[in-house]
Amino acid sequence: MPFSQRVVALGIRHPRAITASMVISALLLIAAVAIPTLLPGSLPLPPVRVDTDPENMLSRTEPVRLYHDSMKKVFDLNEIIVVGVVNDSHPEGVFNPETLRQVYELTEYAKTLRGEVIGLDDPMAGVVPMDIIAPSTVDNIEQGGPGEVKFEWLMKEPPATEEEALAVRDRAAKIPFLQGTLVSESGKALAIYLPITSKDLSYRIYSKLQKKIAEFPGAEQWHITGLPVANDTFGVEMFIQMAISAPLAMLVIFLLMLYFFRKFVLILAPMLLAVYVVVVNMGLLIVTGNTIHIMSSMIPIFIMPISILDSIHILSFFFDRYQKFKDRRKAIEHVMDTLFSAMLYTSLTSAAGFASLAITPIPPVQIFGIYVAIGIMIAWFFTMTFIPAYIMLLPERTLARFGSMISEEDDSGPDTSTRLGRLLAGAGVFTFRHARIVLVGAVLLGVVAAYGISKIQVNDNPTRWFKHSHPIRVADRVLNEHFGGTYMAYLALQPESTGPELGEYAVDLEARLRRTVDEMNLDEEPKNALLAIASLLHEKGAETQTIQELRQMLHKEADDRLNAASEALMTADPEDSVAESLVEAWEDLLLFLDMEEQRNEIFKQPEALAYLEKLQNKLLETNVVGKSNSLTDIVKTVYRELMEGNADYFTIPETARAVAQCLITFESSHRPQDLGHFVSHDFRETSLWVQLKSGNNQDMKYVTEVMDAFIAENPPPFGLKHHWFGLTYINVVWQEKMVIGMLNAFLGSFLIVLLMMTVLFRSGLWGLISMIPLTVTIALIYGVVGLMGKDYDMPVAVLSSLTLGLAVDFAIHFLSRSREYHDLKGNWEGAYPLVYGEPVRAITRNVIAVAIGFTPLLAAPLVPYNTVGFFMAGILACAGLSTLFFLPALIKVLEKLLFPQDKICRITCRCGTCVVTAVIATATVALNVQQFLDMTWTGLSLVSLVVVLASGTVCFFMSRRESCKTVSDEK
Amino acid sequence: MIKHAKMMLLATCLITLTCSALAQDAPSVDEIIKKANHAAYYQGSDGRAKVKMSIKDKQGNVREREFFILRRNADDKDEEQQFYVYFNSPADVREMVFMVWKHVGKDDDRWLYLPALDAVRQIAATDKRTSFVGSTFFYEDVSGRSIEEDVHELVETTDNFYVIKNVPKNPGSVEFDSYKVYIHKTTFIPVKVEYEKGGNIYRVGEAQKVDTIDGFPTVTKNVMKDLNSGSETTIEYLKVDYNVGIPENIYTERFMRRAPRQYLN
Repeated sequence: MPFSQRVVALGIRHPRAITASMVISALLLIAAVAIPTLLPGSLPLPPVRVDTDPENMLSRTEPVRLYHDSMKKVFDLNEIIVVGVVNDSHPEGVFNPETLRQVYELTEYAKTLRGEVIGLDDPMAGVVPMDIIAPSTVDNIEQGGPGEVKFEWLMKEPPATEEEALAVRDRAAKIPFLQGTLVSESGKALAIYLPITSKDLSYRIYSKLQKKIAEFPGAEQWHITGLPVANDTFGVEMFIQMAISAPLAMLVIFLLMLYFFRKFVLILAPMLLAVYVVVVNMGLLIVTGNTIHIMSSMIPIFIMPISILDSIHILSFFFDRYQKFKDRRKAIEHVMDTLFSAMLYTSLTSAAGFASLAITPIPPVQIFGIYVAIGIMIAWFFTMTFIPAYIMLLPERTLARFGSMISEEDDSGPDTSTRLGRLLAGAGVFTFRHARIVLVGAVLLGVVAAYGISKIQVNDNPTRWFKHSHPIRVADRVLNEHFGGTYMAYLALQPESTGPELGEYAVDLEARLRRTVDEMNLDEEPKNALLAIASLLHEKGAETQTIQELRQMLHKEADDRLNAASEALMTADPEDSVAESLVEAWEDLLLFLDMEEQRNEIFKQPEALAYLEKLQNKLLETNVVGKSNSLTDIVKTVYRELMEGNADYFTIPETARAVAQCLITFESSHRPQDLGHFVSHDFRETSLWVQLKSGNNQDMKYVTEVMDAFIAENPPPFGLKHHWFGLTYINVVWQEKMVIGMLNAFLGSFLIVLLMMTVLFRSGLWGLISMIPLTVTIALIYGVVGLMGKDYDMPVAVLSSLTLGLAVDFAIHFLSRSREYHDLKGNWEGAYPLVYGEPVRAITRNVIAVAIGFTPLLAAPLVPYNTVGFFMAGILACAGLSTLFFLPALIKVLEKLLFPQDKICRITCRCGTCVVTAVIATATVALNVQQFLDMTWTGLSLVSLVVVLASGTVCFFMSRRESCKTVSDEK
Repeated sequence: MIKHAKMMLLATCLITLTCSALAQDAPSVDEIIKKANHAAYYQGSDGRAKVKMSIKDKQGNVREREFFILRRNADDKDEEQQFYVYFNSPADVREMVFMVWKHVGKDDDRWLYLPALDAVRQIAATDKRTSFVGSTFFYEDVSGRSIEEDVHELVETTDNFYVIKNVPKNPGSVEFDSYKVYIHKTTFIPVKVEYEKGGNIYRVGEAQKVDTIDGFPTVTKNVMKDLNSGSETTIEYLKVDYNVGIPENIYTERFMRRAPRQYLN
């Protein structure tokens, strides 16, 4: 018994066993998921875990993530929730006692949002109170009176009068760190920044804040945004979404099938099957310890249409044939026999298409691809067994009035009794009569698609996963209008090397020492004494091994001389100014030597601070960056206030000592820890805070490109190197990986499917033709994406695999049945009307059922689901139409080539097919090997070329062997 | 009614008895506080110390500062006082001077001399609870919080300590709700202090080493931990002298700009 019959026989002979095994396996998996989730720890199995963090698009060990984490530690940075308030009704905006009272109250409330209050055991988890940026938690530095510097809270308590409220605004306006960050330039808005210990707490905190805000009376509009909130909220809504969309989609598909087949009991089977496949698939996903990510949450939506496709083919055929057999067993055996290989191949190709996602470098996409592929194969197996089993379990009488009543002797051909039948028949005639016009149309479409593809913009923005009207989107818009930007990225500067070599250093040190001594304006005697130290550099310097030792040696020598000078001073005549000036000279020299120790504190050097300032100016020129904050801003502000608030001193002080003294003054405030957010404890690394007005990856990418170019042209001092970190930047990195990864995955799966098609049809030409609907569909879909100006984002990227899976299905069914009918009738003219009968009806039913079935996704409040819904319909329509029009037109034109007279159908007997197969196989292997082994393309290409040449030679001889001789050859 | 009155009388007597018994054992709260204040800030007529300060952040990175403190009592009522703090290390803040004229009943006067800016600036002292040069100690921890600012209550007496709870009279002026001080019964050295807000202890100071110098029990190692930020600062008193005879004129702008070398080694 051939494989096909053995599989099908399972269902037909043991219908109860098949059904029972499905019920039991589903229940077991449900239990295996539900028990650990509801009663944690009761079973050694993982519970349901949700992961909506786009950061996880990259593996945890991805360098950019490791760097991000290490920098967050160095600078003690947290992810931030931004709460904004806008007051348009008060003439002074938010700067009135009432609004500021609310701001104060909300800040105080936010401070409590950690530990138990938000339901956590760890008392430190949640909002980090000491790093909150709010009017009542930040310091103001200003003039208290003549020569007096004042540090105080910007708004210690809510102001009682209008004047006091305005004073808060005016004070903030003078602090560059606050203007545009805390306070909008218009004065209409104010923002509070809440750092949180972990991103996945944002939704809890968001909800608590919303509740508190709801208690406030008045005309203020409150907004909450920030990437962590967007991510976490997405997760929560995603779940709601899954619970609504997937069942709704099922319902619509069910109603459509009811319309097509009019037999409730019969269509129940594919619905049950789809539910079963989804349950088993998601169950396996969870039991194996995978998280439900944005990608894997879409698995049910992908599995369902694909698992229903085959069932519809079977039912459609069964519907058309049942009345001919009037015996369910014979009818189903006939149906399965006819469709088996097509269905096997469609499933294998779809599975291969999705499995190819496993070679993308993005873990959630890999999981998604693998599990959809597994789901497809589970669906295939149970379609082959359960659908026949189900039909066998139905009493024959329930089918009495089932199916198409017109029963002709042979294959039915076009069904003219229905509108759909007539329409399809007409389409068949059209493709036969106007094949060339159809093909010209295809070429024109291809040109339009190519133009569209050239316009594609690669971009994503996790905030835009929400609809335009969603509170998070609204908050995002409003706050970015008023402030420097709510999207944070950080530009870190670090020295690459640890410092100069000893010899090089000694030379520089001597020069600096001599210059310093010169600048002291000393008399001859002390000057020569000091310069003797410089000559020691030569005499004793050779004995030292390290810079540290060299400095210690000099320090000791100078210290000894200072002590001697001090002792001389004690005994000297009080009027002796020489003795005293000698002591002072040695003290100054020791200071110089001690300052040498601090030379590696790069970010106290005015030169380094000036470079930061230059970077900041360049950042502002991009227009994407609304504001940036750096150590330089802090130094300049403190310097100005120390110099009596004189705006002329809003500059970088001239010496490293002056910078250090400004910084220690800053540290004497309420928030000394703020310094650590900008510079590392050793002053060798700095982070520049960049506030972007948009979370678009392309904007962030643009900023990085501009800065790369700028830094290349203006090399930083001290051999500093720059690196980006921050969530906004991480999004760019994973997106770039995704685009390239998806392209590779698509190429890989395209080749695998092409190889399978060539094998299936035993012909390179047929293989290529079968790829046409999916090629056209993908071109058109991405062409439309480009023409519409829709960003190429994560959901759009995944669509290519879906297209591959669905479009090739239709092509396989269409072509395999075409071949069958061509064999039967001997020519295409006779065959095509039959093809446009049952086979095309099945394809059309599939297109309609699945396309319409997923329209409920359009109503979802989350954009990725809308995108999938919209393009799902588009893909099906495109794939269906290109199968029904372009394939028959091609067959008509290429009939002689496609149906040669010799009938030997072995790949090895056709030289061309054999070579094509070898090339595709080699390319497929090469593409995958490259992904896994990181081999260089040059090496791989050479190996591939050798393999192709070798197999070409083998093909040449194989196709000329005796057993391949056909009747026509002999003639 | 009569029975009731008798009961009341008895109860009053009992309370009185207990109270007087305690009073024999322990000094009054005011007395404890005064003695502790003296032991912590006013011993000798003046004092000089070389101090090493290590500021450790959450990640465990340590920054060190070294400075001299010259303290002088301006009266013998444990009230008026002067502080002169000269920074020696790191080198880039060497010669920087911070000076305080401490007053009771009005704001202190504070000045800062920044040699690299060649500027002496008065620092407004409305809020003394800001960081002392980036450490977890506040200015107030260095110069002492006036005992007039809190209401004191003896909450516990252990074998070694009087535990005093202090509640600020003006809660708006400080960041804590209350703080508890553990005062050593014999030396009256405040050994531990715990600051509390909303029921959580968030800031803890501890005297880790006490030596007797010139006959005065002296804290020579002091640690302040900020539990919120995870940072802590250790102050070690490397060299302590009492009754040095520091003249009053040291505490002037002239000597801020030109450090009195003989007192700073």
